[in-house]
Amino acid sequence: MRRQSVETLIAGLDAMHPERPFRVMNVCGGHERTITQAGLRSLLDKHIELIPGPGCPVCICPEEDIAQAIHLALNEQVILLSFGDMLRVPVFSHTDGPRSLLAARGQGADVRPVASPLDAVAIARANVTQQVVFFAAGFETTMAPVAAMVAEGVPDNLTVLLSGRLTWPAVAMLLSNDEQAFDALIAPGHVATIMGSDEWAFVAEQHGLPTAIAGFHGESMLAALQCLLQQRSDNRAQLVNCYPEVVKPQGNTQAQQLLREVMAVSAANWRGIGVVEGSGFTLRPEFANANARVRFSELTDQSSFTPLAPPAEARCADVVLGRLYPDQCPLFGNECTPRHPIGPCMVSDEGACRIWMSSGMRSVDESKSTPEGV
Amino acid sequence: MTEEYISLAHGNGGRLTRELIDKVFVQYGQHPLLDTVNDAATMSLPNQTICMTTDSFTVQPLEFPGGNVGSLAVHGTVNDLSVSGATPLYLSTSFIIEEGVSMACLIRVVKAMAEAAHKANVSIVTGDTKVVPKGQGGGIYINTAGIGLKKTHTQFDIKRLSAGDHIVISGPIGDHGVAVLLARDEFGLDSQLISDSASVYPFVEAIDTIDGVKFLRDPTRGGIAMAMHEMAQATNLSIRLNEAAIPLSGQVESVCNMLGFDPYYLACEGRVVAVVAPEVSEEVVRRWQACTHGQNAAIIGEVLPCQEQYHCPVSLVTHIGGERLLDELEDDPLPRIC
Repeated sequence: MRRQSVETLIAGLDAMHPERPFRVMNVCGGHERTITQAGLRSLLDKHIELIPGPGCPVCICPEEDIAQAIHLALNEQVILLSFGDMLRVPVFSHTDGPRSLLAARGQGADVRPVASPLDAVAIARANVTQQVVFFAAGFETTMAPVAAMVAEGVPDNLTVLLSGRLTWPAVAMLLSNDEQAFDALIAPGHVATIMGSDEWAFVAEQHGLPTAIAGFHGESMLAALQCLLQQRSDNRAQLVNCYPEVVKPQGNTQAQQLLREVMAVSAANWRGIGVVEGSGFTLRPEFANANARVRFSELTDQSSFTPLAPPAEARCADVVLGRLYPDQCPLFGNECTPRHPIGPCMVSDEGACRIWMSSGMRSVDESKSTPEGV
Repeated sequence: MTEEYISLAHGNGGRLTRELIDKVFVQYGQHPLLDTVNDAATMSLPNQTICMTTDSFTVQPLEFPGGNVGSLAVHGTVNDLSVSGATPLYLSTSFIIEEGVSMACLIRVVKAMAEAAHKANVSIVTGDTKVVPKGQGGGIYINTAGIGLKKTHTQFDIKRLSAGDHIVISGPIGDHGVAVLLARDEFGLDSQLISDSASVYPFVEAIDTIDGVKFLRDPTRGGIAMAMHEMAQATNLSIRLNEAAIPLSGQVESVCNMLGFDPYYLACEGRVVAVVAPEVSEEVVRRWQACTHGQNAAIIGEVLPCQEQYHCPVSLVTHIGGERLLDELEDDPLPRIC
């Protein structure tokens, strides 16, 4: 049954015979993982290009935020909690100190990985004589439970070092800079679960690009691709929700209400991309008691922090922006590996480079153009 | 009653050491051949080729659903002998215990060890204990070494592998890896999953008279992906696995999806993979499915001539018919952010 539907989908895609490149960007590390683990690219016509975009919260977390976390972690009074992916992300800076949270831990800092805000509350309650700082980096999906935690009231010794981002403004910025960056978009399924599919209508309405919300199975991605290709062959562009069993047009309004109550939205820096208007979550002043940047204003003062440029050959920014495939970076799989990551995309399970490495994708396929068609 | 804990004095060779041996290892080790008086065990072996192996066990946590470090230490060594075509007979064991381990925990570990040895029909004939200061060991480390009699009728040899051979597995993958991972309680996930830790000898015995059975391997650390790599690299052949055919429990699949793990790299401790001539693969599956815990045995892939277009000799045909490479494991997987 399942097999049949896959064959039908692939036959449908084949029947559409794209004669010129059709470049489809995804904005969710989960989607890139699905595409790669399902071997989807090996099934498609060479004109259909699947481009990993800026969909990894760890990859785009700015270096100054990680530097703040490291600085806090080195304080003896602080237990620093972070999602596991973040521990190994390197920062390039002039400091002589540790360049990742893991390196800070190696120098005696109490840095612990957590899987959810609930863990942070439990650790704070179990360590009342310590200050517990939860370094919360992530997109809307991660920010909603953080907002719920803060709204409920956190233990006195728990604060949040927030590094939250909204995804759609980054895509809007990519498109406003370069309308030709891609031909169609697979919008993030998890984010849309919280924020609603309607949030992505602007891609079709304002930029004329076919857009689909997809789920996280190979079949679901194929269905989304077929929908996008069909739109192009019909010469139309609209938003289609191919994940309706989970994603609703309005999303999870309760979670959105919590986000609005607890967090404000402002311009924010994205590693590899730069400042994006209206893309950062910050804690509202009424929750200053839970804000690590307020409680530890001196320790988190990074006004003098200037990140060093990464190694000249590293093409992290191009990979994050979808201008290059991971294997087109000269460091990929050579100097930069999951064990010795140079850029953040090689660290996180949501990062395109790590996903490609862990799925055995290595050498540049000569027949494939770069995403920007160079 | 106050709870007893291991102290450094339990390892000083004095009275407490003697008591530890008598009250724990002799009482719960329960084997007539276990020689706790002499410095070496004495046993006789038939005039036959023997196999010998050794392995150390450092699992964290020490106890997990479906076993503990003691049962694991027996199964690991028994399985290495079994897949080498030997009948496991005798084990030695050596404990390195961290000061502060509770006596109750140690007793559970020794009991599980004795029970596993009894079930696997092997004798633990000699042992040793050391205690290290608190903070210098992970609770209990166990080394076991084993001797088995090489069966004269088996010809398991990796050199016999050839293109066209089938890969068969005795049961679902990843149960042990996920059971241990969840027992660490770092992810706040509950599950009914239990480790597959067990002796694989019954599976080996069920098929070792079939001539077309060429090579066996227990896919422990690194999972089936690394077991395939070892075989491919030793033979300069390629191996292609079929995702849809690989048995995987729903629970392991869910945890992998949630945490971003690839199940093909997760450890099994009671499964065996066979490389067999294609004409006998159905028979191997039939016999394995008749074994306890063998109902999900399946043909999961095939051996191919070296696929030179790929940098990696192990590939996977995915559920949707795509193909991807299963490269060598790079590092420990990290929990995912969202």
